[in-house]
Amino acid sequence: MSLTVDGIEAPAEGTLLDAVLAAGIGLPHLCTDDNLAAIGACRTCLVEADGRIVAACSAPASQFHQVATRGAVVERIRRGVLELTAAMVSPGSLDRPGGPHAGELAAALASHSARLDRYPHRTRTRSDATNTFFSFHEEACILCGRCVAACQELQHIGAIGMAGRGGATRVTPGADATFADSICTSCGSCVAACPTPALSPREAFAP
Amino acid sequence: MTRRVPTTCPYCGVGCGIVLNVDDSGRIAWVDDDPANLSSVGMLCVKGRFGATFVNHPDRLTTPLVRRDGVLQPATWDEALDLVARRLPEYRGRFGSFASAKATNEDAFVQQKFVRLVMGTNNIDHCTRLCHSPSVEAMLQQLGSGATSNSYADFEAAGCVVVIGCDPGSNHPVIASRLRRAIDDRGVRLVVVNPRRIDLCDRAQVFLQPEPGADVALFNGMARAILDAGVEDRDFIASRTEGYAAWEAAVLELTVEQHAALAAVDAGLLREAALLIARPPAPVGHPPAGRPGTCLLWGMGITQHTQGTANAHALINLALLTGHLGHPGAGISPLRGQNNVQGCGDSGCIPDSLPGYQRLDEGNLASFEGAWGASPPAQPGLKATDMIERILAGDIRAMYIVGENPLLSEPNLHHATMAIQALDFLVVQDIFLHETAALADVVLPACSFAEKDGTFTNSERRVQRVRPAIAAVGESRPDWEIICDLARRMAPGAGVARGQFEYASAAGVFDELARLTPFLRGLSHERLDREGGLQWPCPTPGHPGSPVLYAESFPRGRGLFVPVRQGSFADETPDADYALILNTGRVLYHWHGGTLTRRVRGLLARVDTVPVAIHPDDAAPAAISGGDDVTVYSRRGRLRGAAVVTDAVRPGSVFVPFVKLNESAANFLTNNAYDPQSRIPEYKVCAVRIEKGHAARRRDAAATGALRPQGEAAIDHEPVPGHE
Repeated sequence: MSLTVDGIEAPAEGTLLDAVLAAGIGLPHLCTDDNLAAIGACRTCLVEADGRIVAACSAPASQFHQVATRGAVVERIRRGVLELTAAMVSPGSLDRPGGPHAGELAAALASHSARLDRYPHRTRTRSDATNTFFSFHEEACILCGRCVAACQELQHIGAIGMAGRGGATRVTPGADATFADSICTSCGSCVAACPTPALSPREAFAP
Repeated sequence: MTRRVPTTCPYCGVGCGIVLNVDDSGRIAWVDDDPANLSSVGMLCVKGRFGATFVNHPDRLTTPLVRRDGVLQPATWDEALDLVARRLPEYRGRFGSFASAKATNEDAFVQQKFVRLVMGTNNIDHCTRLCHSPSVEAMLQQLGSGATSNSYADFEAAGCVVVIGCDPGSNHPVIASRLRRAIDDRGVRLVVVNPRRIDLCDRAQVFLQPEPGADVALFNGMARAILDAGVEDRDFIASRTEGYAAWEAAVLELTVEQHAALAAVDAGLLREAALLIARPPAPVGHPPAGRPGTCLLWGMGITQHTQGTANAHALINLALLTGHLGHPGAGISPLRGQNNVQGCGDSGCIPDSLPGYQRLDEGNLASFEGAWGASPPAQPGLKATDMIERILAGDIRAMYIVGENPLLSEPNLHHATMAIQALDFLVVQDIFLHETAALADVVLPACSFAEKDGTFTNSERRVQRVRPAIAAVGESRPDWEIICDLARRMAPGAGVARGQFEYASAAGVFDELARLTPFLRGLSHERLDREGGLQWPCPTPGHPGSPVLYAESFPRGRGLFVPVRQGSFADETPDADYALILNTGRVLYHWHGGTLTRRVRGLLARVDTVPVAIHPDDAAPAAISGGDDVTVYSRRGRLRGAAVVTDAVRPGSVFVPFVKLNESAANFLTNNAYDPQSRIPEYKVCAVRIEKGHAARRRDAAATGALRPQGEAAIDHEPVPGHE
């Protein structure tokens, strides 16, 4: 059983995303973290696999033979997904400094020449600066769920979750609670996971 | 361009992997977790993630300091080391040294070699005396080895985990995360034993909240319940243990109900916990053939008592009775509080054994003489707490203290300060001018963990690399290099070859440690760089390390049951004047005395006043509400803090973390009464009273006179001018 990604042989182990990255090919994967199982929420890792468009992070590599990350159709779809994702954040909100992965969305938008203004921006303005180590700015949040997974599945704390439905969905440390009032232990795993500057370190590193 | 340097966290004994991200200006810009590290598996806590910035704090010591005209003044390295080299030989026979459980194995090894060879004494000890010396004493006597038997991974393979006298959520947060994962994902059952309701109790099947100091009764009661139900492990007892009959007779003296009454816990709950420990249900994914095990984890709640060693015996007896030793998903795990407290002992910084816990017997002394060209002394040295007491008796006149601040960590700080002030000559080597350093004659600036090459050994015996990420701050130098420099100046006068203190690198120091220590012999920096952290014993270069000990036998042969009976609960118990029990511990946002965490802005912002937890039943009569300023008094001192009114503490008790904030610290209150075997102080119990409001500062003489022990000169814990 052999697997090729854009014509390059790749190990047929784990997910297609693992195979793509092992082949040394860049592919956005905004809701997947080194530390965690795939969430499958962002749809930015779409590839064409044996003629179907699938999310690479959630497709078992052993079930496919030929994978293409390039191609007019799959690239257009990914660009569309990224442009919809860009519409979730306020203009300019991705320019603020953030955690170690804060540039991932901006980099994905740039690599796909995505237009930031193709769809109308949704404006969300809540922010929470009650934690002494990091702050949360909803205007840069794309609801990928990495912070929630880091809090729940990595640290098993469960201080933050998703609240609301549809367009009102948001990340929150409890029902209208602040980080300071929540059971958050300030471990920073959410900040380490965030692919935008939504969760960003405060000036903690200036002693 | 950011450089990424994988290293090991400098805070507690869990030993998490961290990756220091260093920016162009050479400062730490971010700390990443390290999913490849087998001890922390990608988890981190607030101190590991956000607490590293103390390394660049402006308070860092940048030059040696020498006391001239009564004031510490900057000096060159030559001036400072020549002075120490000239003065110390006067004190041979009246000298003691504290090593640092925060420094590396390499630092510790060189320091004990200096003390033994050049100063000719075994008076070297470290903070294990203040934390797990009773656990080590009991394990050595009963099993023949004083280390944790299993690995963190076993918590997730166990049927039941028992968390006793510790609050991992505050002091070992990544252990707490691993326990929550075990409970949430594997269905592992949790039993918590603590006089205080800790956060993990939310997930506990049974929570026992005993009277402080009643641990022997509690564990003997569990043993009695197990015997009554006939669920002891008879095969294990018969094939792996001795001393059972005498121990059983002691346990059978009281019924479960009588034991439970002594410990002030519900007998039904005690029985439920005991049966769960003896025969835990299988966790998710447990192999059908195997018998599910139980892991016993414990902390200072067991050890920091005048009967600390007896408490540890009672607990280890329970492990022997149930056979939960020697296989995966079981075992005994004293949680170590400092990043390298395991390694500091392994490397020989204990007064009654050489590196590798090798006794001071003829054969061992001869083999060290062969390696070092001179013999270490045969006479066992003084333990840390005894050194402090013997200063006042005049037997110790000079000390060399490395990376340790006894004037925050010793009990009864007014008394300890008296002792340190009475020294003729004090050398302190550290990164900050803390309370003890401020009293020194010579202060030597050391590098922090972020500037050093070496190894730390964590709570699961995993030896892990520490790597330099930033340039040495000021003129600071690695501890082992400072001591080698000093030792070379003093060696000829001591009949020791200078070459004994010439090492090309930290890796060279480690190689000598490994050569002399059978259980480390298979390790080297090069191998650890290649394979990642490895767990000792690792006797040969091809040995994979040892996640689980005692599969076939114990180092002493058979495990020994040691009969223990509940004695008096504490040296000082409540009375009419001091009606409450003081219990001390930790808070998540600070680490121990706070010398490091007070210098991390975000941590200090989270907790900037000593929280004093008090039960509503005790708060109401004193008209104390949450957030009120309160003053806690003992016969030895007092503490100003802020009240936290909570039913998490037992009625009749007060809980205070021992971090020093706003010049208030719990150890001004605690009692310098000691466990007779291990000489650990009784930090966990003393008698106090509490008043609403903050007493005037000590300069207000009217409010203070009564507090000062008779005959002791005026000592205060006001800020020392020029620092903090």
